[in-house]
Amino acid sequence: MNAPANIETRQLLNGNHAVAWGVRLAKPDVTPVYPITPQTPILEKLIEFQSEGKFAAELLTPESEHSAMAACIAASATGARVFTATSSQGLLLMHELLHFAAGARAPIVMFNVNRTPASPWGFWPDQIDSLSQRDTGWVQLYSESPQDSLDTVIQAFRIAEGSMLPVMINHDAFYVSHSVEPVSVPAPGLIDEFLPRVERPMQLDTGAGQSLGAPIGQASWNRTRREMAAAMETVPGLTEAAASGWRAMTGRGGGVLEAYRMTGAEVVVLTMGSMAGTARDAVDRLRDEGIAAGLLKLRLFRPFPADELRAALAGVPCTIVLDRNYSPGMGGVLHQEAKAALYGTVGAPRMHGLLAGVGGVNVDVATIARLVRDYRNADPSPDAVWVE
Amino acid sequence: MNDLTSPLWTNLTSRERITGTWRSALPNYQNQPSPCLNACPVNGRIAEWIGQVKKGDTKGAFVTLADNNPFPAIAGRICHHPCETACNRNELDETVGICSLERFVGDAALDQGWGFPAPPAELAQSVAVVGGGPAGLSAAYQLRRYGFRVSLYESKSALGGLMRWGIPAYRLERAVLDGEIARITAMGVDVHLNAEVGDADALAALRREHDAVYLATGASLPKKLPTLDYAAGWVVDSAEFLAAPADQQSARTGDHVLVIGGGSAAMDVARTARRLGRTVTVLTLEPEGSLPAQKVEVDEAAEEAIRFVSGAMLQSAEAGDGAVTLNCIRVAFSKGERPGAFRVDPVAGSEFALSVHTVIPAIGQDADLQRWAGLLEATGPVIAAGKDWQTSTPGIYAGGDVASMARFVTQAVGMGKEAAHAIARALAPDIARAVPAELPEVGYDRINIAYQEPHGRTHQRLTEVAERLTTFDEVQQPLSADEAKSEADRCFSCGSCIYCDNCYFYCPDMAIARLGENGYEVDPDYCKGCGLCVAECPTGSIHMAKDDNA
Repeated sequence: MNAPANIETRQLLNGNHAVAWGVRLAKPDVTPVYPITPQTPILEKLIEFQSEGKFAAELLTPESEHSAMAACIAASATGARVFTATSSQGLLLMHELLHFAAGARAPIVMFNVNRTPASPWGFWPDQIDSLSQRDTGWVQLYSESPQDSLDTVIQAFRIAEGSMLPVMINHDAFYVSHSVEPVSVPAPGLIDEFLPRVERPMQLDTGAGQSLGAPIGQASWNRTRREMAAAMETVPGLTEAAASGWRAMTGRGGGVLEAYRMTGAEVVVLTMGSMAGTARDAVDRLRDEGIAAGLLKLRLFRPFPADELRAALAGVPCTIVLDRNYSPGMGGVLHQEAKAALYGTVGAPRMHGLLAGVGGVNVDVATIARLVRDYRNADPSPDAVWVE
Repeated sequence: MNDLTSPLWTNLTSRERITGTWRSALPNYQNQPSPCLNACPVNGRIAEWIGQVKKGDTKGAFVTLADNNPFPAIAGRICHHPCETACNRNELDETVGICSLERFVGDAALDQGWGFPAPPAELAQSVAVVGGGPAGLSAAYQLRRYGFRVSLYESKSALGGLMRWGIPAYRLERAVLDGEIARITAMGVDVHLNAEVGDADALAALRREHDAVYLATGASLPKKLPTLDYAAGWVVDSAEFLAAPADQQSARTGDHVLVIGGGSAAMDVARTARRLGRTVTVLTLEPEGSLPAQKVEVDEAAEEAIRFVSGAMLQSAEAGDGAVTLNCIRVAFSKGERPGAFRVDPVAGSEFALSVHTVIPAIGQDADLQRWAGLLEATGPVIAAGKDWQTSTPGIYAGGDVASMARFVTQAVGMGKEAAHAIARALAPDIARAVPAELPEVGYDRINIAYQEPHGRTHQRLTEVAERLTTFDEVQQPLSADEAKSEADRCFSCGSCIYCDNCYFYCPDMAIARLGENGYEVDPDYCKGCGLCVAECPTGSIHMAKDDNA
């Protein structure tokens, strides 16, 4: 590759502006967005870029998120590279069309800012908005920090266009979306090479008498889901490939599952989003105390990387899952998924599902360290536990 | 070319998937009558010709108008315009000034000298029309359009009937009347003036000479008040007064004229007398606000300082020294069931007296039924006629005031038209116009008001009162071309497609095809009956109909 040397500039950016920078570099053709707190700074930054002549996408502002997603699907079906962003209520309003987009195999990239859904009204970081969309057929990735968000949104286009599945990246409201940190922004030339335009196997074309998604029989519909399953199977590999390409270029970032101090770990914290950053410091503190703690940050939630998780937890006696979300009547969604992935596995670890930080409640380093100390030798419970 | 291995993509277009079976209702694209059309005495296609005015096609508007009425310039001046009362636009702001637009078109036709085309072929059959008033002229016109030979018999020295002898020039300029009549006679009507058909024998003879006869001799006999001595010099017959030249009108009237009656003729008499410089009082049985004359006539009369004594009745008159004392009494007036029927109850103790020099009763006219006795049967005060306007004697049709109590000029024009088509159906069924199908009327609820801006009506200007009273010039002034365009633009075009393409563009299933001049066609193979086209139609020209076939 003739890429220029690792040219990046360092900027102080909050998470949302980091996303906007990533989108600017990915050069989508069409960007239909409806504003919503706390996503709006992404849209505002993109508009700013456009007014400066730095962002050439067709920027549509329809009357609702539902219409925004409808526009995304139609634009994507014509072969355009499409980006949108939303949060919470906006994502939920899109629900019907999330199924549609995935079924239509539209490689849309969407950034969702995780926020508590009403009611009651709130603006706090909580992942239930996106986790409740897990069965719509979208690939889901979770980001820990502004830098992670910039890096992941660019990689997401590779995953989407490689699998012909829509990809949703999520980061926590305010903890990431509005927190400022120094962010490395790659030079445009780097991204053009990382993200080449790929020819679609199928696209709507007025010159061809073909239709997309027309009514079909039961067996044919069934086949489309098998095709989606096959596409989903390629996603972990595509995610790893995008991540390793990114690492080669920038030296940053993990793949499907990011391991931290896992060597010899006897208790492992499994979590995702901004909580992973806090947990990393807690692991350091516990190691200093002589407790063999480790961290698994789940980056790819859908498809759920069961194989990678089984491999990472092989021989680990205890896992503590921290969920910043709550599925009423069941518990934490990550806990539920991890249990299902490990069920029947020989030597599966004891697993504790802790509902920590639901509704955006702050979970600091000391709290995580305390929870690990408290639960590492406790008897496992199949049910989730509310913790402070 | 796309890879078609996935069932997500098909090489069928949506055209090949017949989805119309999901439907329970199908839109029906069909022009339907507007309320104004149904209210119009000649059932004029008002929405259609106003649409032509909108587009600047005044000649086209004239042709459309003249299909049902050869007198647009006359009707545009004197019609009682029930169309405007019915107008859907009244729900939004004000009714469209249909009458003033009709005058605009009619005047343009006279200015430009637009005539009527010759009939497609001359027919052998002949029809005699007896009476050259609005009903007779209308019938003669429609019959000539078919190509029938028409002989028109008029008892007076000129054609026009009530329009000439009853309506003063300040309401209907004589050049307009002459122009619109000449346009009809130019079609080849065999006109016989001063040719009275005096009795039943003469009428029967005409019937023998012609394939059909149309009788429209009007209502020539004045109703009489029993309390008045008609032989007295100070009593003047209203019909004679209106028909007389101005010098004779002056000679017959004293300084203070009392007109008895609240109808159109009474207003014409009163306002004519005002123009002769007389002080005028109008005595009506009906209370104020309920006079049978058009409101505009009453308003203009009041502006012209005519005094109204309403809700009162003459009891007796005494001629005195140069003046007449009229003993009157207040009455309670109630309308009867049938047109023209009423009941009055004097209010005890409310007697009062008026002192005037001349009394002109104008309380209505009766048809002369006696003249046709033995040949034509009567129903009440008029000649009996069926739905097709045929009398009790086959081949003799009747209309206008002689056969109806609907006494407005345009109603007579409508009756003449209907009888002419009925005669054609009897004599030449192959070419005769069919009886129009009964279609539902397009009400206000079918107009999409989202496409309409509130915009007040442009009213015709009236001549200043001082100026009016010195001449017999017309009071109502015409709309300018710009005003006419602006007023025409206010028309909703109820039930008349304006080819806006809304249905075509809004159809989510692309199930509506454009057929150019023929409008649109709904494709039942794809229409799912959502009704969006109906909702988005600004004119109500497409409506949902139950679909049992789907």
